[in-house]
Formats: sequence, structure tokens, C-alpha cells
Amino acid sequence: MNFLENLPLAAKKLILDAVEWVCNWLCAKTGIKLPDWAMPALLTLVSILIVIVTIIAVFMVMFALMSVFERKILARMQNRYGPNRVGFFRWRLCGLFQPVADGIKMLTKEDIVPRGADKIVHFLAPIAMVAPALVLPVILPYGRGMVPIELSTGILFFFAMGAGTELAVFMAGWSSNNKYSVIGAMRAVAQMISYELPLVMSAVVVALVAGTLSPNGIVEAQSGYVFDVHGIGSLLNVPKWFVLTPWGFVACLLFYIGALAESNRSPFDLPEGESELVAGHLTEYSGFKYAIFFMAEYVGMFAINGLLVTLFLGGYQSPLPFLEWIPSWCWFFGKLACVAFSMVWVRATLPRFRIDQMMQFAWKFMLPMSFAALIAAATWYYAGRGPAAWGISLLIVGVPYLVLGRLCFTRRHTADNRRYLYSE
Amino acid sequence: MHDLIQRFLSLPWGQPTDWLFLIPALLMLLAAAGAVMLRNLIHCALCLTLSFIALGILFIALGAEFVGFVQLLVYVGAVTMLILFAILLTPASEVAASNNPFRSFSFSKTLNAVGGGAVALLVLGGLLAAIFFSPHAREAVPPAQAAVAPAKAIGENLLTHTLLPLQGTAILLTAALIGAALLAKEEKPL
Repeated sequence: MNFLENLPLAAKKLILDAVEWVCNWLCAKTGIKLPDWAMPALLTLVSILIVIVTIIAVFMVMFALMSVFERKILARMQNRYGPNRVGFFRWRLCGLFQPVADGIKMLTKEDIVPRGADKIVHFLAPIAMVAPALVLPVILPYGRGMVPIELSTGILFFFAMGAGTELAVFMAGWSSNNKYSVIGAMRAVAQMISYELPLVMSAVVVALVAGTLSPNGIVEAQSGYVFDVHGIGSLLNVPKWFVLTPWGFVACLLFYIGALAESNRSPFDLPEGESELVAGHLTEYSGFKYAIFFMAEYVGMFAINGLLVTLFLGGYQSPLPFLEWIPSWCWFFGKLACVAFSMVWVRATLPRFRIDQMMQFAWKFMLPMSFAALIAAATWYYAGRGPAAWGISLLIVGVPYLVLGRLCFTRRHTADNRRYLYSE
Repeated sequence: MHDLIQRFLSLPWGQPTDWLFLIPALLMLLAAAGAVMLRNLIHCALCLTLSFIALGILFIALGAEFVGFVQLLVYVGAVTMLILFAILLTPASEVAASNNPFRSFSFSKTLNAVGGGAVALLVLGGLLAAIFFSPHAREAVPPAQAAVAPAKAIGENLLTHTLLPLQGTAILLTAALIGAALLAKEEKPL
């Protein structure tokens, strides 16, 4: 099983060795003496290239699979079949080749730019959207020793890159010269700015307890089990994941909601609310540019789910000692798939927020709750992480939850005197 | 041919990393020029953002990871959005550009230019003075690798040596926030 665990790193080393050997052979053959910085520089470039190609390939495949599975899962939850036609020649394969058909359709569609649009900004917006989204996954630890770029301030890097998305959405909405686009972009920007605060605050909670901003260090801080028992008793063991502490549970939920809002997914899909705004900032985009927006959204969603797994769900750690034979990167992607599935589930279940509810929820409930989680985490940290600390931190997050719930979601805000004339 | 390649390679080029800073630096200068010279205000703001991004890259290239990421997070994420919102919410911004009555007087134009230039020179002089008179300027320049300040050290420094300025900034921002909320609040008719 060690073989599977080390497979990705071994493959990378093999490629690097092969490049070095070929280069040395060429130099010896032609008699060119390279300066001494050239070989390390070349190897660095090649290893960067390996990382880029791997990340793009893995996330593109995940995007393609997600696009078909999301539709199928949604369909099953709504008592339909979903896409099940497109296959490979005679074999249907449950419609698994749907993304290929979608891709061909998107690529061959006409790319329409409105006459009144700001051509340059309209062209640059998809690029500004997809570039940060593709950079986001590089800091995630995919397995033991498998961090594409080891940064001591990785969490900060993630949020710094994520900030570019707002700008891209604004560019798309404004340059389209369409009022639906501008309204959608304004909603998207307002939503992203509002939900970025609780998102960052709940990541700060974890950084506080782990004492580091490096994703790998945070995963390592969650290693080990609560009861150190062996044998058959290890079946009942509890991993030291942050989601299993009171403050961690609250912060994890806040982060999850924030992630839903940042990736513009239901119930936070008001920026694209198709029944009101056509498609928000995407209205005037077609063909490949639309596909790029779509792709950036999904890659960003995977990246933020990966960060959620890293911060709260123990990253690549296995939940129980006797499951440690499964390679660590399998655990990471398994957890990622579970979080992604739950997002589809939420999309199938919840209706869309109204804009004032969305704003109120962010500023009046989530932000104070993230502060409460911060205080609870600090208390837990200094009270010795034992059962007493557990109880106190539970109290610190529990009381604000009840109080805020009473204050924020009174009858006055839910407007139960509203009558929906055409739905009764 | 081999000889030529060999001689080209043996020129005193230095490390390739010595040259990499030129890309963000030139990008920043170009974008800043665009921010000043373009007609459309939104384009100016987007150019300004580009120069912010290039400045962040420059910080990262100099080894100041933390400062670079904060630069991207705060300026690209927050300040730019603020500027864009301000432009969009100011109704007369385009009208003012075309129908400005002061535009026709060359006297006021030159006055504007002289005044603006004076302010820019003052800011530049102040910053240069701050750099030259700071005690750190006389210290030996550490090599780039040693200059990487970990986020932990910055955080500790912020909460011990520079706690008072930090709290002062916090109070200022809170006051600004309350003021903005007061301005934005609708006045209810009595």
C-alpha cells in the first residue's frame, strides 16, 4: 500500500530525473557547457510545469464529472432521470459523456459581443475570472507531502487570490452594457463582500488554534486521535479534526455557508437568479466565454471545498486508525467529493434567498457568530483542550446562537402576512 | 555556432531572478500611466487595479510574501471595489468631465496642473524623507532570502511595538464607519 501512497510523488521524481538525464546527455553530445544556474532553473521550471499540468488536468476532469453528476443527482432528487443519452458510439454509459457533448456545443457556438459593449473589458472579464480560480488549488495539501506550492502564508494567499473574482464579476456586468448584467454584478459583488468577512473570520479561528497560516501545518495540527486506544477499541476512536470541537463545528458551518455564497450557488444564486435577471452578469456571454465563466465557478467551488476539508475535516488524514492503509490523497479527494455532493444536495433542497434576507443573514447572524467562534476557540486553546474547555467553548458559541436566532429571525422579518396570489 | 552560444551565455547576466522584477515593475508603470491618462473613469479604475496587482507581485518577488498578499487582498479586493462603487454611484461623473466650465479657462488649467504637481512632489518628498531619515536606512541591506519576514513576527510586532498606532487606526476606521452609516441612513419625516 505504500506504493499507492507514494505514486504521485514518485511519478514526479521520475519525470524530473528523465529531464535531467536527457539534458545532460544532450550537453555531453553537443559539447555545450551550461552555466551552473541553468540546470536547477530548468528543473524548477519543469517541476512548476508538472504542477500546472496536473492541477489543470485533475480539476478539469473533476469539473466535467461534476457537471454531469450534479445534473444526475439533482434529477434523481427531483424524481427525474437526468442526462442519460450521450455515450460512446453504441454504449450509453449512463450519459457519462454528456460533458464532451456540452464542451463541443460550447466551443462551436457563436461568440456574440453586444454592439454597445465595452469590447476590451468584455473580453478580459472571463480571463480575470478564470486566472485566480486556477491559481487557488496550488496551496492545498492533497496528501502527505503533496503540496504543489508550500507557502507559509497559504491561507492568506487563497483569500488574496479569491478577491480577484469580485473584480471579474464587476467587469463582466459593467462591460456588457445591459441593465440585467449590471444589477446581477452589483448583487454578486455585494454578496461576495458580505460573505467574505465570515468566511475569512472562520478561517482565522482555525489559524488561531493551529498557530500557523500554512495549510499543511493546519492539517498536521489535526493529526492523531482523542483516545489513544489500540486493538478493537480503536473502532470507537475519534479523530482530532477541528469540526469535532464546538467552535470548530460552528466555524465549519459558517465557512460552508460562506463557501456557498462565494461560489454563487443555490441558495445564494441571486446574482444569476434566472427568473428575475436572465442570467445576471452572464447574460451577454455566449459560447466559449460562458463556458469559461462556468468552469471558473466550478473550479473555485472545488478549491474552496478543498480549503474546507483542509481547515476543518482533517485534510488528508484518515478518520480511524485501521483505515490508514488507504492512501492519503484518496482521503482528501473522498472528503472533497462528499462536500461537493452536499452542495448539490443543498441546491436541490433550498429555495433562493431574498436579497434583504441574504444581507441580514450575513451581517446580523454570521458575522457575530464568527466572532463568538473566535472567542470560543481562544478559550478552548487556553483552557487546556480538555472536557472543561469543551463545555465552556460550547457555552460561548451556544448562547450567542440562541440569542441571535431570537433577535434576527422574528416574525417581523419573515413577513408572514405576505400573500402569494398565484401559488395558492 | 557553439562558440557563439557559449560567449552569449558567459556574458555577465547575473541570475535570471535579477531580471524578473522588470515584468511587474514595467506593468505597474504602464498601468499607472493608463490610470492617469485614460478617458473612461472605469477604465482608469481598472488600470489602477492592475498597478495594485503588479505592486503586490513586486512585493512577493522581493520576498515580502505577507505584505504582497495583504496588498492583493485589501487593495484588489476592497479598495478597488470601493472606487468602482464610488464612480458608479456618482451620477455626474461623466457630465462633469465634458461640461466642466473651468475646462475652458487655460489659467485654471495651468493652476490645476501646478497645484497637482506640487502636491505630488510634496508627497514624494515626504516619502523619500521618511525613507532616508529612518534608522533602518543606514543598516546593511540583508540578502533577499533573509528578508522574508514570517507572518508570525509581523503579527507579534503589530500587537506589541506598534499597538498604539494600530488602535488609533482602528478608532479612525470605526469613526469613518459610523459616519458613513449616519450619512447613508434615511431621515424619517416627523
